[in-house]
Amino acid sequence: MNKRSFGVLAPVVLWLSFFMVIPMLAVIFVSFMQRDNLGNIVWTFSLDNYARFFEPLYLGIYWDTIWLSVLTTVFCLLLSYPLAYYMTTLGPKAQKFWLIGITVPFWINFLIRTYAWIILLRTQGVVNSLLMDIGLISEPLQMLYTQGAVLLGMVYTFIPYMVLPIYVSLEQMDKRLLEASSDLGASRWRSFWHITLPQTKSGMMTGSVLVFVTTTGMFVVADILGGAKSQMISNIIQNQFLGARDWPFGSALSVIFVISSLVIIGLFNRALRSSYDSSKEAKA
Amino acid sequence: MKKLKWYAVILAGLLAVTALAGCSSKSQETLNLYSWADNFDMDVIKKFEDENNVKVNYAIFANNEELLAKIKAGGSEYDLIQPSDYMVASMIKQDLLAELDLKNIPNFKNVADRFKNPEFDPGNKHSIIYTSGVTGIAYNTKYVKEPITSWADLWSEKYKGKVLLLEDNREVIGMALKKAGKSNSTTNEADINAAVDDLRKLVPHVLAFDTDSIKQKMMQEEGWIGTLWSGDAAYVKAENPDVEYVVPKEGGTIWSDNYAIPKGAKNKALAEKFINFMLDPENSAKNYESIGYSDPNTAAKSFHSKEYNDNKMINLSEDELGRTEWLLDVGDKIQLYDRLWTELKSGR
Repeated sequence: MNKRSFGVLAPVVLWLSFFMVIPMLAVIFVSFMQRDNLGNIVWTFSLDNYARFFEPLYLGIYWDTIWLSVLTTVFCLLLSYPLAYYMTTLGPKAQKFWLIGITVPFWINFLIRTYAWIILLRTQGVVNSLLMDIGLISEPLQMLYTQGAVLLGMVYTFIPYMVLPIYVSLEQMDKRLLEASSDLGASRWRSFWHITLPQTKSGMMTGSVLVFVTTTGMFVVADILGGAKSQMISNIIQNQFLGARDWPFGSALSVIFVISSLVIIGLFNRALRSSYDSSKEAKA
Repeated sequence: MKKLKWYAVILAGLLAVTALAGCSSKSQETLNLYSWADNFDMDVIKKFEDENNVKVNYAIFANNEELLAKIKAGGSEYDLIQPSDYMVASMIKQDLLAELDLKNIPNFKNVADRFKNPEFDPGNKHSIIYTSGVTGIAYNTKYVKEPITSWADLWSEKYKGKVLLLEDNREVIGMALKKAGKSNSTTNEADINAAVDDLRKLVPHVLAFDTDSIKQKMMQEEGWIGTLWSGDAAYVKAENPDVEYVVPKEGGTIWSDNYAIPKGAKNKALAEKFINFMLDPENSAKNYESIGYSDPNTAAKSFHSKEYNDNKMINLSEDELGRTEWLLDVGDKIQLYDRLWTELKSGR
C-alpha cells in the first residue's frame, strides 16, 4: 500500500477497527469467560458457554430459526422472480415506477410497517371485517400471533432484497442468446429454462444470501406478529444480555451465529462461482 | 415501569444530542436525571428549574439492564436515577448507590408507611419509592362472564387462545408460584419446576406474550383475559370500559420504580433537593395526575382530582396491597428461571 492510498483508506480502516474489529474481539473474548450470580463477568477461561449451545434445547431453537429462514427465502424467491421478470418486460418509465414502488416502503420505519400488519390481521381488523361483510366467514379468523403471520411478515419485509438482485441480473443478461435459441426453434419455456434461469442464477443467489442471513438475525417480527410465542436464536441472545444477565453465554451464541452465517455465505459464494463458470462455458 | 419502549431508544438518542447542546450554559447548575420515558410531568420539572435556577437534563433508558450497564460503566454522569425494586437491591449489592441523606429530604415523611422500609432496601438507605403497581388479572366482561377471583381462572378451557401473558420469566413463573401458594421469588427448585409444569398446560391457551403493547391487545379485544399491571389496567379501562381488573386471592407481584443516587454523583445535594421537591404534596399531585401512575404520597391526596382518587386501579386498596409480594433477587437461580422459560416458550 503506497502512502497516498493509505491516506485515503485510513479513515475507513480506523472506523472498521474501532467499530467492528475491536467490538468483535471483545465479544469473542467475553464468550470464553464466566459470570457470577450478580451477572458480572468473571475473568476465568471456560468452554462451558459453547458446550451449553449443544444442548438439545438450544440446538432445537437454532434449527427452528434455520427452518423459518429457509421458508422465508424460498417464498421470497418464488414471489420475486415473476415480479422481476415482469419488470424487465416493461418500458423504461414503467420499470422506474416499479423500482420506486419497491423501494419507497423502505423509507418508512420498519416497526411501523410491521405494526400496520396488526391493523390488517387482528380479529377486528381490516381483513376480518371485509371477509365477514361479504359473508365468507361468520366468525373472525385468528390470523395474528400465528406462525403463518410470522412467515408473512418476514416475506413482506425481505422481498425487496430478493427482487432487486434478480432484476439486475435479468437486465444484464445477454438478450441475443434468447433470439438465437428462438431462431433455432426452442419454445419460450425451453429458452427460459435453459438460458434465462441459469443466466440469472447469480441474482437469485445474491438475493437468497441477503434474505437468509438477515432473517436468521431477525426477531422483532416473531415478537410482534407471532406474539412472542416462538423463540428464535436472536431472542435467546437478547435475553442473555438483558433479563438473564449472562453476557458470556450471549457472546458465545453470537460468535456461533456469526460463524454459521459466514459458513452459509461461503457456501453460497462457492455455488455462485461454479455457476459463473458454467455460464461462461455456455457462452463459449 | 419495566416497559421497553422502542421509541424511547430513539428519544434517548435525540436527548443525548440536546444534552450536548445544553453543555454551553455552564453558569447554571445541572441535574442529570436518568429515567424511563414519559415518567415526569415536564411542567413540574420546569417549576423546579425556575425556582432553583438550575437545569434538568432528562435522559431516558428503556429497561433496568440498560440502566445497570450505564451506571457500571461510570455512574457519575448521572445525579439521579430510577431503578425498579429488584434493580435497587442488585445495585446496592454491587455498591453502585450512594447513601441518601434523609435530613435533606424532609418531605419523605409524606410517603405512605407501606412503601417505607421496603425489603429490597431496608431503612430506605439508598432509595425512595417513586411509583408502584401490582400484577393482577385484567379481563373483558364482554367475553368473560364468570367472576374472576383466582390465578387458576386463566387456565379455564373457555378462554383458550385468548389468554395474554407478560413477556417476562419472573412475572409469569412468579404468577404460577403464587397460584400454588408459594413465594414468587422462591429458590426451591422443586417448587419452580412444579410451577413451570403447571404453566406448560397454560401455554397452549396463550394468544401472545407481550409487555410493551399488552395494553393494546386488551383494549382492542384481541385477548379476553390476561396478566396486566394495575397502572396499565387503568389506562386500558379508560379506553375500553368493559375491562375489569382484579388482584387474585392468592396475591400478586408488586413492583416499584424508585429514586436513587449513583455513587460519585456530581450533584448529590441537588438530587436530594429534587426528590424533596417532588414529594411536596402539591407538586406531587400535579405530577402523578399528569403521568397517571400511583402516587405514594399520602399528603397529596387532597390535591388530587376526584377522578384520580376514585380510580381503583391507580389507588389499590389496603386489602389488595396486603396480599402482594416483591420480586426479590434469586441469585444463581435466575439461570434456572431463564432456562425453564426458554423451554416453556419453545415448547420443549
